[in-house]
Amino acid sequence: MPVYSVSRRRAIALLALTSILLITLDIQGNSVVRGLRGVFSTIFEPVQSSARVMTRPLENSWRGITNYGELEAENQRLQDQLDQQEGAFIAALATARDAQELLALNGIDNLADISSVTAQVIGGTPSNYSQTIEINQGSDRGLRVGMPVVNAAGLVGRITWVDNDRSLVLLANDSLYAIPVQVVNQPNIVPATTTTTTTSTTTTTSTTTTSSTTTTLPVVPPVSAVVDPNGITTTTQSMTTTTVDLSTVDFGALAPTTTGVIVTIAPGTTAGGPTTTLNLDDLPIAETGIFRGRGIDNAPVVEFIDQNSRFGEVQVGALVFTSGGSQSLAPRGIVVGRVIKIVERTGTSGAVLEVRLTAKLTSLNFVRVLLYQPVATGAP
Amino acid sequence: MIDFVNKPVARLILVGLPALALQTTFFAEVKIFGVVLQIMLALSIAAGLAGGSENGALAGFVFGLMFDLVLTSPLGLSALVYGAAGWGAGYLHSRALENPKWLNALVVGLMSGLATFVLPIVANWIGVEGWLSSRLTKVMIVVALSNALFSFLVVPIARWSLAIRRSQRLAPPAEVFL
Repeated sequence: MPVYSVSRRRAIALLALTSILLITLDIQGNSVVRGLRGVFSTIFEPVQSSARVMTRPLENSWRGITNYGELEAENQRLQDQLDQQEGAFIAALATARDAQELLALNGIDNLADISSVTAQVIGGTPSNYSQTIEINQGSDRGLRVGMPVVNAAGLVGRITWVDNDRSLVLLANDSLYAIPVQVVNQPNIVPATTTTTTTSTTTTTSTTTTSSTTTTLPVVPPVSAVVDPNGITTTTQSMTTTTVDLSTVDFGALAPTTTGVIVTIAPGTTAGGPTTTLNLDDLPIAETGIFRGRGIDNAPVVEFIDQNSRFGEVQVGALVFTSGGSQSLAPRGIVVGRVIKIVERTGTSGAVLEVRLTAKLTSLNFVRVLLYQPVATGAP
Repeated sequence: MIDFVNKPVARLILVGLPALALQTTFFAEVKIFGVVLQIMLALSIAAGLAGGSENGALAGFVFGLMFDLVLTSPLGLSALVYGAAGWGAGYLHSRALENPKWLNALVVGLMSGLATFVLPIVANWIGVEGWLSSRLTKVMIVVALSNALFSFLVVPIARWSLAIRRSQRLAPPAEVFL
C-alpha cells in the first residue's frame, strides 16, 4: 500500500525543486532574489522592531542573570587596562600623527581621510552558522552595500544589506567574507652574524651605496629588534643596545626590488674583523593574499599568497592589513589581525596563513562604518 | 477577510512573522551555551506532527523561506532543510497510532538535531564552507533539547496554523488511509 499518492509526491517534489531553484538563483546573484529580500524586509521591519521593543527587558534580565559575575570581573579588568593604556594612547596619538603626515607627503590615502558613521549594534545573528550583526544606521546616513565596518581594534566586516535606518553587517569570520590583504612581518628578528665591536661602519647596498656613521655596541645573539622609519634599534637579551643608523638608505626606492638584497654593515677602516650583515629580507615586508572567513569555530585564513613572495619568511605573529586597491571593498591599512599559524600545502597552491582577528567579534557594541567605496564602482 | 485568515498558508505567515521576529531579536541575543535556539525549525517540525508530512513540508518550506530572507546564506537553503524536516516529522507521526506529548517532544528533538546536522552538509554541497565544525555537535544537542521543550508550545500553535480541527487531530493520520 503506497503511503503517498502521486499528487502528494508531486507537491513535495515541487517544494524541493523550488528550494533548489532559489538556491541556484541566489548563488548566481539574481536581482529578483535581491528584490525579494528587500520587499520582505520592508514588510518584516515593523514586526521586528515591535518584537525588539517588547523583548528587550527580557533580554536584559537574561543577561543580568547569566552574565552578572562575568560582567563585574570584566569591568574591573577593563578599568585596569584603561589606566594602563592612558599613557600609551598619548604616545600613539603622536605616532599616528607622524604616520599620517608621512602618508600625506607620499600621496597615499589613509584611513583618517575617510568619513565614517558610528553605529550601534542592535541585533546578533539569528542563525548558528551565518555570522552577521544588525546595526542602527542605514542608507539615510550614506551607508551602502560593501562598505567596510571597523571598530577600535580593527576590521569587523562589511555591509551586506542596507535599509533606510538599519543595516546588516557580514562579519569577517563568516565563510562568505573575503578581502585582499597584506601580510607584514614583524621586524623582531635581525640575524647578527658577528659579535665584533665597531665604532664606525659603512653601509652599502647592491643598488645604492651610501655611507653613514653609527655607534654599535657588542651584539650578543639572540637579538630582538624594533625598526622605525629612521633606523633600527636592536636590543639584546643582556639589555645591551645596538643602534644602526640606516636613515640614509632610501627604503622607499628599494621597496619594490629588495628581495635578496643585502645591506652590508662593514667595519670601519680603523677596525678590523669580520663583516656584520643585515639582511633586508628581515625588515618588514608585505605579501599580498586573500583573507577569507571560515565560520565561527575556524580561524580565518589568508590564502592565494603571491607566488613570487618569499613565503618561508612570513612568520607567526605577522600583521595582516587590508591592502586596498581600485576594486577592494576596503581601503588600505585597516588592521585585520595576526598570523597565528602557517599551514604549508604541497603543489602550487601555496601555504595558508591562519589569522587571529584583532577585533573581538563576539562582543561588539559600537562599530564604525567607513563611507568608502572602491574607485571601480564610481565612488564619490 | 476571515476566510483568508482561515487558509493555512495565510495562518502560517501570520504565525511565521512574529516567530521570525522573536528569532531575530530575542533568540539572537539569548543564547544557551553560545547556541542560538531555533524556533522556526521547531515550528516546521511541529507542523509535520500536527498536519502530516505534506503540511509539514509546506510549513517547513514557508518558515524556512522566511528565515532565509533575513539571513545572508543562500535563499532556499533553510526552506529545503526545514521542509524536509517537516516532511520527516509527518512521516514519523504517521507511523504511530498514538502521539502523546512526550512522543511529540521526542520527535521534535530528534528531527531538530537531524536538521541541524543536515543544514551545514547541504550548505557545504552548494559551496558554503565553514559551517561544518566541531561546534556542530554542541549546536545539535542544544537545539534538539530546546526544541523538544518548545514542542509543548509549538505543536498547538502549528495545529492552529494549519487549521487542524479537533476531530481531525484525534483521527489517525491521513496517510494511513491512502
